[in-house]
Amino acid sequence: MTITKDHIGGLLFLGLSVVYGYYAYDIRMFPGDQFEPFNAQTVPVALAWIGSIIAILMLATASKHSADRLTFVGLDLALVAKLMLLVWLFAQALQWLGFLLSTIGFLLVGYWLLGERRLKTLLLASVPFALLFWFLLAQVLAIYLAPGRIWQWLLGV
Amino acid sequence: MWDGIFTGLETAVAPFNLMMVVVGCFAGTFIGMLPGLGPISAVALMIPITYGLDPASGIILMAGVYYGAVFGGSTSSILINAPGCASTVVTAFDGYPLAQKGQAGKALALAAYCSFTGGTIGALILLVAAPALATVSLSFQSSDYFALMVLGLTAVAAFSGKGQVLKALAMTVFGLMIATVGTDAISGIPRFTFGNIDLIDGISFLLLAMATFALAEVVMSVLKGNHRVEDAPMDMSSLGSMKLSKEEVKNIAPTATRSSLFGFLVGVLPGAGATIAAFLAYGVERNLSPRAIKDKFGKGALRGLAAPEAANNAASTGSFVPLLTLGIPGSGTTAIMLGALIAYGIQPGPRLFVDNPDVFWSVIISMYFGNLVLLILNLPLIPYISRLLVIPKPILIPLILFFSITGVYLVSFNSFDIELMAIITIIALLLRLLNFPMAPMLLGFILGGMFENNLSRALIISDGSLAFIWQRPLTLLIMCLAVVVLLMPVIGRFVGWRRLQGKASMMVADKGEG
Repeated sequence: MTITKDHIGGLLFLGLSVVYGYYAYDIRMFPGDQFEPFNAQTVPVALAWIGSIIAILMLATASKHSADRLTFVGLDLALVAKLMLLVWLFAQALQWLGFLLSTIGFLLVGYWLLGERRLKTLLLASVPFALLFWFLLAQVLAIYLAPGRIWQWLLGV
Repeated sequence: MWDGIFTGLETAVAPFNLMMVVVGCFAGTFIGMLPGLGPISAVALMIPITYGLDPASGIILMAGVYYGAVFGGSTSSILINAPGCASTVVTAFDGYPLAQKGQAGKALALAAYCSFTGGTIGALILLVAAPALATVSLSFQSSDYFALMVLGLTAVAAFSGKGQVLKALAMTVFGLMIATVGTDAISGIPRFTFGNIDLIDGISFLLLAMATFALAEVVMSVLKGNHRVEDAPMDMSSLGSMKLSKEEVKNIAPTATRSSLFGFLVGVLPGAGATIAAFLAYGVERNLSPRAIKDKFGKGALRGLAAPEAANNAASTGSFVPLLTLGIPGSGTTAIMLGALIAYGIQPGPRLFVDNPDVFWSVIISMYFGNLVLLILNLPLIPYISRLLVIPKPILIPLILFFSITGVYLVSFNSFDIELMAIITIIALLLRLLNFPMAPMLLGFILGGMFENNLSRALIISDGSLAFIWQRPLTLLIMCLAVVVLLMPVIGRFVGWRRLQGKASMMVADKGEG
């Protein structure tokens, strides 16, 4: 049997609906709410059932052509993983280093990951941009940007 | 109505709002030109900026970006055969061959004139149709609204294309599921938060829109290695003349008018949108054309360019009808605008016409201004705006990523949102690889809250009985429509199968006779 994208999609959605349904029945309610015509569980439980039915229909009507198989050939998964890691690191850096340094770091590494190797371009496209953007936010629009915990520790600001 | 129009006109011609139209059209044109980034991503990228504006200015800016992005998509379709969005794919069929013949200027001008015609006719119909529909829908009750939500959600799935109906339905349900995360608005009980304080308020609409469209779109292009592919160079010096002869205008005018009316009607249907309108208008115009012109379609026919351009702009305007009058978005882009309006504390729907006439009318009037700006300002500036596209992709992609992330961060100032964005982007990528459409999920998510509120109200009024579905004729009618829309793909398949069976039996009979 050929496992196609439709099969994987149907199975994933069935799994999601079952897990969602399990937690839907777990939603706490106020005493007596279970006798009300509508409570916090009504819609989630209904969605779990509808989702399961759709998933089963998806599996039943799934394409069996080998052309519809999921393939990762030609996809740059490693680069995407690196970019997503960079996004996560940017989130951490914002708390520790502050907006300006995090932005410079994010852009520098981002350009480098995507193949830009010229040092001059790397610096020109990141440092002035980050400075300008920071100035616009913090000075012109007067938006408070936390300086980062590391500066608070080191300089006590 | 005239009072409203004057209020809207007054708001729309305020210098700041006029500036918003111009800025929106320019920004939209630029973003729309970038291959892969369509109007949905363009509007999503603008949301954080609009949070700092008043509702009328914010929605005017987004409407300008919407038009600009559709126009920008046409430009890259014509110049480099790389449609910026799905609705301008058809534009490339005849636009690019024209550009190759050295008539890029003429093709761009024609696209702009037809977009203007489509937008103008659309705006004029909207001016009359929207208030009329809003007046009727003032009598709607919660059961009718619930039925309307069901219709909107099923229609999106039904129009999603062959073999996609179940996937679109699944994504709609997924969106509704995501909408249940956070504190239940009715009982105040937290649901699916797993003890995480950051999830108590639920998942932000902006975060979801950015992660599933702007961010996922860019990361998808990286995944496919598109950042390494150089776009075809644009030779701006050989655009050619932008003038159309009298004969050509005469020839195209009926096409543009027909396609505009047709596009508007398709745009009004929830879920159909500009892409379907453009494809259908192209097909209709091809069939209506005389044999000699029909053969030119696909090789640089002016009619083949005029039809989809007029239709997709008119459809973009048409998709505002269900948004402004019923509070149900007709497309992914208007779904994002609905989310933005709700964030402003404005509830689109029949009450918008009464409670916020300035927003209602200024949006309609600024749409017309938007079309005017595209024609007068954008068209002559296309050679200059296009130069921005020479920014190399290794520089452009991290910048778009940065704007998407900071757009969300600068609203909540919570780095957890960025982490959640990364997770949702990865899920969205996987779903895209499995051919799941994204727009139905966003629609389900945005309508989720209203869907649950109206269902609860209707159920409580009818004391827990589902009889509310058939007790009110209007609710029953809308529910029947939803069922028909849902069954349409199945009926279509059955009809196709019967036709094939009929042909097969005729062939067997012919062979028998032979």
